[in-house]
Amino acid sequence: MSGFDIFAIVLVLLVIVTLIAGVKTVPQGYDWTIERFGKYTQTLSPGLNLIVPYFDRVGRKINMMEQVIDIPEQEVITKDNATVTVDGVAFYQVFDAAKASYEVANLNQAITVLTMTNIRSVMGSMDLDQVLSHRDEINERLLRVVDAAVSPWGVKVNRIEIKDIVPPADLVEAMGRQMKAERVKRADILAAEGQRQSEILRAEGAKQGQILQAEGRREAAFRDAEARERLAEAEAKATQAVSEAIAKGDVAALNYFIADKYIKAFGQFADAPNQKIIMLPMEATSMLGSLAGIGEIAKATFGESAASATAAARRTGSVPPTGSPPPAVPPRQG
Amino acid sequence: MTDMFVSLGNWNWLIFGFILMALEVVAPGVFLFWLGLAALLVGLISFTAVISWQIQLVMFAVFAAAAAPVWRRLGRPKPDAGASPFLNKRTEALLGREFTLEKPIIDGNGTVRIGDTVWRVAGPDTPAGTRVKVVHVDGANLTVAAA
Repeated sequence: MSGFDIFAIVLVLLVIVTLIAGVKTVPQGYDWTIERFGKYTQTLSPGLNLIVPYFDRVGRKINMMEQVIDIPEQEVITKDNATVTVDGVAFYQVFDAAKASYEVANLNQAITVLTMTNIRSVMGSMDLDQVLSHRDEINERLLRVVDAAVSPWGVKVNRIEIKDIVPPADLVEAMGRQMKAERVKRADILAAEGQRQSEILRAEGAKQGQILQAEGRREAAFRDAEARERLAEAEAKATQAVSEAIAKGDVAALNYFIADKYIKAFGQFADAPNQKIIMLPMEATSMLGSLAGIGEIAKATFGESAASATAAARRTGSVPPTGSPPPAVPPRQG
Repeated sequence: MTDMFVSLGNWNWLIFGFILMALEVVAPGVFLFWLGLAALLVGLISFTAVISWQIQLVMFAVFAAAAAPVWRRLGRPKPDAGASPFLNKRTEALLGREFTLEKPIIDGNGTVRIGDTVWRVAGPDTPAGTRVKVVHVDGANLTVAAA
């Protein structure tokens, strides 16, 4: 085999090896950095790329997809000295492969540590209650600080989420008891308030009842008084009518009426089923004596004009009844 | 074996070329296709003129090496072509879009809220609440101007 034969074969091998070394296929989602004699020169984007073998070589293969890193659990002391255990996740994406390759030595570790220290400083400036209730605010503050810090590395932190905030068990238990006490207090207050309200209502009802009763009594008293007034007026009228009649007529007529009523009353005594012994006052006998006088009157009257006597008797007898027992008209002298 | 190669003569190049092309389909190392083309070219030339096998090999090497720059010029897709031009280029997709400035730009730096995250933007000093337009993108850095 001549020298030219070997040369030709070696040449073909060299060309093939060179071509294979120079062709780079970068997959989607990655950027490759190229170093010429160790110095960064360019970034290969996804697809087919050709580099100059022997001079260039691939430096770093950087993942350009959004990535998530777990922020490991750590203990944080809040402003009010409660120790809570916190962990989280951070999402970031590389936008500049060259910076992410050469500006920072270990990107993942750098972001993790940066986030951890910032979690400590952000949550350390808040009370436990705030830490537990302001998770969004913590996330937002972390995002701003960490994003600003990583921007020289060609990286954007899109999101930092605090996953779990775990206060110590005894604190959780105390919080539970506090919650329960709060509810019990509210229930007690509500019950007391209900009782107060009901007592007030009851007292108000009693008061109203008494007022109404008093008003009723007052009204009744007014009416009673009115009735008595009316009665007195009627009596006065009746008395006047009788006295007028007497003034016009004979006094003996009056005696007639008295005797008449007396006898009727006496008759009622006689009718009573259980009482046959009648006790009469002493004056009663003299009253009986007047009956003889009545006979005389009758004679005198009937002698003159029987008709006018009966008419007079009717007029005086027509005194209107007042509802109360007939008043004892005292005999008038005149 | 050697007898077979010798007996096939110039057909060897054509056979070799097609095998390379077929391999390209199976294992996309990409450049095998161009090597196959080079082999086919050598084969076609060897049918027209009587050339020694050493020269044929050298020709193959030259064609293969020349294929690289040719392929680079012709075969390389345009950067923005493809089904999803902005795949893994989130910031490029923001070019020309307008947003409301969340924090004022002071000393060239402010923030806007895009999606559910906050982006730091650079630009001339502007008060918060102004509509701004993304005018330049460099990695994760957005440059804005008043819209």
